[in-house]
Amino acid sequence: MTEAEIRDEYEILKRSRTQPMAFGELYEKYFERIFNFIFRQTDDEALTGDLTSQTFLIALNNASKFEFRGVPVSAWFYRIASNEVNKHYRKKKRTNVFSIEEVQMKKLIQQGDDELDEELIQKLITYLKELPTDMLKVLELRFFEDKDFKEIAFILEISESGAKMRTYRALDRLRQRFNLRIKYDGKE
Amino acid sequence: MGRNEIRLRRNKISSRRIDHYRNYGELMSRHEQNQKIKRLTKVFIYFLLILFMGIILFMVFRWEQKQDLKKPTSHTEISFASENNIRTL
Repeated sequence: MTEAEIRDEYEILKRSRTQPMAFGELYEKYFERIFNFIFRQTDDEALTGDLTSQTFLIALNNASKFEFRGVPVSAWFYRIASNEVNKHYRKKKRTNVFSIEEVQMKKLIQQGDDELDEELIQKLITYLKELPTDMLKVLELRFFEDKDFKEIAFILEISESGAKMRTYRALDRLRQRFNLRIKYDGKE
Repeated sequence: MGRNEIRLRRNKISSRRIDHYRNYGELMSRHEQNQKIKRLTKVFIYFLLILFMGIILFMVFRWEQKQDLKKPTSHTEISFASENNIRTL
């Protein structure tokens, strides 16, 4: 996303403080992405629908509080969504669920084969189960949402170096355990 | 049991299915309702503040009045002038 596009979206958000209907543009653009992001952490369609609409409501109600910090407005939506998911799990006192699409798993591990080995998938699932939740969240944002470290840091309210560290630690473990080539290997 | 529950899905949820949950009209009405509640809360807080200030002012006024009443009355000096000296009562 270019700097100009980020500014444009920020202007729309600013406008929606006085004209709430202007927010519709951002709602239509990001609804699906936020829905998928939440669905991946709940695996429950109805709950995701509620949390997504709650996310946009909070954003619209607090449009005046958003400060431009060089990250896209969507990063703010992701941050609210992430907080809403956390709030839900705290309230229900349940184990965090991560529902990953097979396609995304293939993207993460560039094996070259069309079909993922069943045994490897099971090993990966076991590995991901034991991974700290915050590390999983970083991986999700980095690989499934294609976010850069600056955005990840903003969404998870951590430092940029912290986001990088978490990602690389998780990836190192993945490489050591499975001897795999990971998406973004050799790239920043 | 691990720290997280990992589930694997065959397919991504379709856009059509997601559209089922898209409802901007409902979002707007909820937003308007929230704004109304916010405005009412603000008015109520201002009302409480004004009421509180009024009570404080009233109490200060009453206290001042009481203080005025408690003040000792001024003595009147009556002097009798005699021939050589002045005796004061």
